Amino acid sequence: MYQLNDDDIAFILDDIRRNGVEMEDLQLNLLDHICCIIENNLEANGDFRNFYSETIKSFYKGKLSELEEETISLLNNKYYYTMKKFMFISGILSASLISIGIILKFMHMAGAAVLLVSGTAIFSLLFLPLLFTMKVKEKQQLKDKVLLTAGSIIAVLISLAILFKVMHWPGANMMGTISLITMIVVYIPLYFFSGIKQQESKSNTIITSILMICGCGLFLALARAPYATRYQSIKDTSSYLRNEKIYEVEKKHASQLLTSTEKFNTVSNELLNECDLLKADILEWSSGVRKIEDDFENKNIFIYDGWVKTYFHDSNKAAALLEKIKSDFQNYNSLLPSNKEVHVLPLEAIDFNVSEEKVLWALTDLTQVEMMVLQNLK
Amino acid sequence: MIYSSELIKGTLKTIILKLLKDNKRMYGYEITQKVKELTAGKIQLTEGALYPSLHALEAEGILITETEFIGKRVRKYYSLSPEGKVITKEKLSELADFMNTLKYLLDLKTDII
Repeated sequence: MYQLNDDDIAFILDDIRRNGVEMEDLQLNLLDHICCIIENNLEANGDFRNFYSETIKSFYKGKLSELEEETISLLNNKYYYTMKKFMFISGILSASLISIGIILKFMHMAGAAVLLVSGTAIFSLLFLPLLFTMKVKEKQQLKDKVLLTAGSIIAVLISLAILFKVMHWPGANMMGTISLITMIVVYIPLYFFSGIKQQESKSNTIITSILMICGCGLFLALARAPYATRYQSIKDTSSYLRNEKIYEVEKKHASQLLTSTEKFNTVSNELLNECDLLKADILEWSSGVRKIEDDFENKNIFIYDGWVKTYFHDSNKAAALLEKIKSDFQNYNSLLPSNKEVHVLPLEAIDFNVSEEKVLWALTDLTQVEMMVLQNLK
Repeated sequence: MIYSSELIKGTLKTIILKLLKDNKRMYGYEITQKVKELTAGKIQLTEGALYPSLHALEAEGILITETEFIGKRVRKYYSLSPEGKVITKEKLSELADFMNTLKYLLDLKTDII
């Protein structure tokens, strides 16, 4: 039996390293293995170098580093399974979160937004990318890889666009329009023409293309067309303008009462001024101007079809003014005369920071309140 | 007759797991020698197939390892983890079932021919 000395062992280890085995674990395993073979099979006075070089050759077909490559590929296989597991977990999680979120939203219960946002975020930023990574490995041809990549990006964009839309975050319409148009103009034709050429995928391609076109079409049918948007904007802005005119005339009629020094009248006048200020602020945020004129249509100045809540969340100054008006409401109501029929100002009419109200409704609410104040003067 | 590596490939993991089940802990060389001995040299595990599998099984948590110094070199002993014991049972019954099916399938084919 051959007795290996330290130099022999160092020689073997060095040779293993030189031949491209970099994983330390594998180096040590191979070293021990070779040493065992030598110790068990080489005569005490045998030729170590010669025996070694013959033995090591039996370990591989082409080169020694094959062993490391095979090990890495098996280890990657393991990551593949972990990834698959992760994909399933994230998929089930996002599906449950979105479902529960929708139920809560319809029942108007707390937590709907949190569940919807986290569910959609997990779906579009975790599940879809993982699904893509798994699937892209299975695709052999470059053409298929490109199609899959484009499809995944579009899917992520569409689901994020819906999320942004639901949460009234900016950029939703842009994201949705771009992804749907890319899908219809680029993705579906690419998909169709690459699949239709092969006999075995022909009918599948036609059916899937029809499904995708109808899906996109129905989705776009939900969106308001540019013409309808303009029409609605004109209607909204005219409605606001009419309210303003009625209010201005009423205010003029009451001007004498408003300038009197009686306390109730001064408080009324102050409240009207504050409401006017808030209206102008909201209008400026929405349309860009503080006062709408008759020729708004020619100047393309419209009240934006947005959610007024956003304004009070974005601007501290606006939120402060709203709070001031709310407390003035209470003060005003306490001063109301009890001997005649009067309007009590409703606080809930101006809860703009929590309500799901469009800009026009908020402006109308404020004008209604102002008219009540004016009528209480008489 | 020595079996081809294609035949051994699909069963290698199960062979390793079964040996470790019977022998508690073993190192790589020992595994190849044991297989050779038990099969009278008909099955010879190659180093190129054995070590990648051992590393993968370790990474999957099926095997656990202990290292011992033999003079200047390190020897890595492999044994089954608790999870590995369960998997070994599954793998063995799967392979037994597969062998029965294969026997049935191939017998049928020889009859036809």
